[in-house]
Formats: sequence, structure tokens, C-alpha cells
Amino acid sequence: MRKSQRRRMTAIVRYVLLTGWGVIAFFPIFWMISTSFKPDTQWFAWPPFYFPHPPTLSNYLNVWFGAEEYAATQYAISSQKPLISLLNSTIIAGTATLLSVLFGSVMAYGVSRYRILSETRMFQLLMLRMIPPIVIVAPLSLYYSTLGLLDSMTGLILIYFLTTLPYAVWMTKSFIDEVPREIEQAAEILGASRWRTIFEIVLPLIRSGLVATFLFILILTWSEYLLALIITKTQVTTLPIELSKYQGTTEGRVYGRQAALAVGITIPLMIVGLVIRKHLARGFSFGMVRR
Amino acid sequence: MSVAAVPAASIPSQASPRERSRQRAIRRFRWSILVPLILLLAFVLLPVLFLQLYFSFHQWTVYLGSWWDAEYVGLDLFRDVLTDPRFGWAVVRSLAFATGSTIGCFVIGFALAYLMRRPFHGQAFYYTIFILPMLTVPVVVAYTAEMLLYQSGPINDLISRISGIDFKPMWLTDPNIALPTVMLLEIWNWAPFSFIILLAGLAAIPREPIEAAEILGASRWRIFWEVELPLLRPVIFLALVLRFLEAMAEFPKTWALLQGGPGTATETLPVYIFLTTWQYFEISKGAVMSYLVMLLMIVIVLFAIRLLRREKQSLDAMYAGQKAAG
Repeated sequence: MRKSQRRRMTAIVRYVLLTGWGVIAFFPIFWMISTSFKPDTQWFAWPPFYFPHPPTLSNYLNVWFGAEEYAATQYAISSQKPLISLLNSTIIAGTATLLSVLFGSVMAYGVSRYRILSETRMFQLLMLRMIPPIVIVAPLSLYYSTLGLLDSMTGLILIYFLTTLPYAVWMTKSFIDEVPREIEQAAEILGASRWRTIFEIVLPLIRSGLVATFLFILILTWSEYLLALIITKTQVTTLPIELSKYQGTTEGRVYGRQAALAVGITIPLMIVGLVIRKHLARGFSFGMVRR
Repeated sequence: MSVAAVPAASIPSQASPRERSRQRAIRRFRWSILVPLILLLAFVLLPVLFLQLYFSFHQWTVYLGSWWDAEYVGLDLFRDVLTDPRFGWAVVRSLAFATGSTIGCFVIGFALAYLMRRPFHGQAFYYTIFILPMLTVPVVVAYTAEMLLYQSGPINDLISRISGIDFKPMWLTDPNIALPTVMLLEIWNWAPFSFIILLAGLAAIPREPIEAAEILGASRWRIFWEVELPLLRPVIFLALVLRFLEAMAEFPKTWALLQGGPGTATETLPVYIFLTTWQYFEISKGAVMSYLVMLLMIVIVLFAIRLLRREKQSLDAMYAGQKAAG
């Protein structure tokens, strides 16, 4: 009796604490979504409006489609730029991530089966990721400008590819390590080349792991800010940069518009993250955590 | 395990022709992977590091004509930077910011993970809610924070309503609390990271030692300190190290929200380097600072990697033992 009472108490305390943090974790996201549906008079009203009243789509229509009839003139930052940025972001993040996973998984296979990189080298590879990008961004932009890669998709794809490669190698290696070796040995005896073994046997076997790695790295490249800020200027902008253009414009604070754009940037990422939620720990922990 | 990973490499001498051609094939395979990587590093990273070194010893700003004509100034720039109090403060701020947010993330992440270590009704729901902040783009975090934290904004309103007192701190414009505010944002943003790896670590702890301790009559508290915590050490380590390194490099939130202001209150190393290079156009000074920061980070990273490797080896040994026993 006493024991079951105590158990119920711990359960209640647990729910209270977890719900407490849940509210803190969710409130800013709720606020962003709520603000994106508010008409301009409620963006910073006092007392604050917690729910849009009445909800309106004008922020979305204005920001994403530059719909003039919805643009209360003083807040209008028209043009269809965000849609172009969305396309840019998709192409850049998609290509860089694809390259990273493709190259990374082949490399991971080499490391897992033939130790083409020693453990020391594998950890040194992590340096590519752990050195803050700010320390190379200035010379990189100068170097890129001499190569004509500044303000181009290729430049950004190249550097994203390099900086996410360590994650790709480490993460896919943790999946490849789990594949039993016997299958490949059978293929080898049957005379399959090494490349065929990789692309037709090993990689298909870790399909779900590759998808998880792809989405995981997509999260990193999609939200990258500093490199995109410096390397892209006018021709190519990614979504995070597009959003930062709304800051400090002469029109003053345009919270509703910002929120509408922010929701559009964040929701795809959240969906992706929730799809691979079981693999997130693996991606972040460099083989230190197994399940 | 490592022996099995190098098949046949351990019998080098009396290898058959078939075995030798196999070895050759492996070597070819190895280089066909490594060569592109080396080329990539040589063509992208090496010139960048070289340029960085060049600018550290040559005074150049964008107004001074072509960069290759810049004047050689020896160690002058290094002296400038090392005697610049703003740089010193940026170092202090960065270290304080990284330490504070690392501890914050760890405490919250660990508490949540510990509360959720056993299955319970609604676990998946809480897990989903808890990882959402991590999936928010950092720039979005910054702008949403601005919407929430202005003086008559919703956060102050909520706190005032709940507590009944008129609570109106100027989160973003008071120089004394601007940096802690950004630190809170960092914790909100990345506590989920500590949470998920600590939760995975807790779930991977073998049951046997804990049950054995229970049978021996150890208290809950002692089991936690003397059984669970030591087994969890590698993962705790990982959570702390990675978070610290990432916090040292934090730029998007700090910049998008405050650009180093008010005054210089949130001027961390990345922000100061960014300002020097892209607003004052002192490319050379920025390069020197970058070099110093890079050296500092390399020292920290090498140290961290050493410790991580040691922990990983002990973890590998533990899993190997578990596999052998099971």
C-alpha cells in the first residue's frame, strides 16, 4: 500500500516536471505560429494577444507570394524572393547532403571493412566540424571570389559538403558496422566487384540508415547561417538569409511577416526531425551511443 | 573486433597470387576513396589556411588596392590583437557563454532524461515535444525571441500574471542581462541535444549491475551515484564536450538578435571577428583573431578528442564484454 502510494506520487511529480518543461519548450513555437496568423494591429499590442483574432492568412500571402491586395502598404516587402530562396535552399541543402551521404557512406564502408582511416584519423576528421566556421569564412570568401564561386550555388554546396562529411561518415559507419560480413563475402566469392558489392548489397541493406543520415544532415545544411550570409550575396540566397533581411528594415518590426516566413522555414525541418527522431541520438553521438 | 576488420592482412608473407591480387584490389579501393578527399582538402581548405596566414602578417583592408600588394608588417598585427581589451573581453564572454549554456543544457537534459528513462504512458508525446526546439532554425529562434522578449511582450506579461508582481526586465536592451538572455536561448535551443544523447545512454545501461546492487540492498541514491553514473560517464562526457564546442562557435542567434549589442554586452568571439572583418573591414586583424581562435579551439578539440577516444574505448570494452556474456 505505502509502496504503491509512493509510486503514484513519483508519477505525479514526473508528469508535473515534464509538463512544465514541455510548456517552456513549446511556448515559443506556439507564439511564432500564432503571430503568423495575426493581423498587423496585434503584432505588439498591449496586453498581448495570445491567439490571433480573427486569424488571417495575409502574412503568408504577402511574404510568400507577394500578394499586393493583402499588403497593408507600410509593411509590404513584396516580390517573390522567398519562393526563389526556397528553391535555392532545397537545391543547395539537397545536393550538398546527397553528396555528403554518398561519398560518406562509401568512405564509411572502407573504414568499417578495410580501415582505410585509422581511428585517430576518424577523430581528426571531426575537426572539420568542430572548428568554428567563423575562423575560415573571410579567407574563404576571398578565395571563392578569385575562383568565381562567390554568390554561386556550387561554392556553398562545396563547403557544406566538406563540413558535413564527418557526420555522414560517422553516422553511416555505425549502420554499416551492424551489417553481417558474410553476405559480402558470399558476393565476393561469386565474383562481384567491390563497387558492385557496395552499391548493390551493402547500401541497400542500410537503406533506412541512409535515409536517416540524409535527413539528419539536411537539418544541418538547411539551417546553416554564417557561411550562407557571407558566401551568398544577391544572386543566391537561402531561406535563413532571406528571413534575416526582414530585420532592421526601415518599415520597423514586421513580426507577423517574419513569423509567416519563419513557420515556412521551420515546419519542414520539424517534420524531417520527427521522422528520424529515433536516429537523432546516433547522428549526434559519433558511435558513442548505441540502441 | 579490430582484427576482424583487416581480413587477411595478418598473413602477409606466404600469400598466394590470388591473395596478392586481392590485397592490390583493396589498396586500389582505398586510394580511390582517399584521393578525392585529399584533393578536396588540398583545393579548398589549404588555400584558405594559406590566405589566412598571409593576412596575419600583411596589413590589408579592402581600401588598400589588391590584396597581393599588401604591406608586410611582421608580428605587429598579433601585438595589436593581443593588446586589444575588446578581444580579451570577447574571449571572456565566449568562455562564460559556453560554460554557462553547457551546464544549463546538461542539467536540464539530464533531469529530463532521468525522468524519462523508463517507459511510461505518454513518453513518445513528451519526447516529440522536447526535441522540437532543436529542430528550430537558429535564426528563427533569434527572431521569435525578439517577438517574445520585448519589454511589454508576452513573456513579461505571462510572468507578471502568474506571479502577481509587475515583472518587467529589459531582456534585450539591458547590458547586464543581454548575455544571460542569449545564454537562455542557447539552452532552450540545445537542451534537447543533451536530452536525447543522455536518454539513449541511460537506455543502454545494462540492467544486471543495477539489479545486483538492489539485491545487495543498496539505496536508490547509492545506486545512482555508484552504479548508474559511472556507467554513464562516457555519454555525459560527450554531451558536455560537444555542447561546449558548439557554444563556443555560436553565431546565428547572437548576431541576428543583438549584433553584439547593447554596447558590447553580447560581443562573443565569433561576433567580434565578424564585426572586425565585415563592418570595420580590417581583414588582417580579423585574420589574426581567427588564427588565435583557431589555435585555441584546436587545443581544446585535441584535448576533447583524446578524452572522447579514451571514453569510447572503455565503452567499446563494456559492450564487447556484454556481448560475450550474453
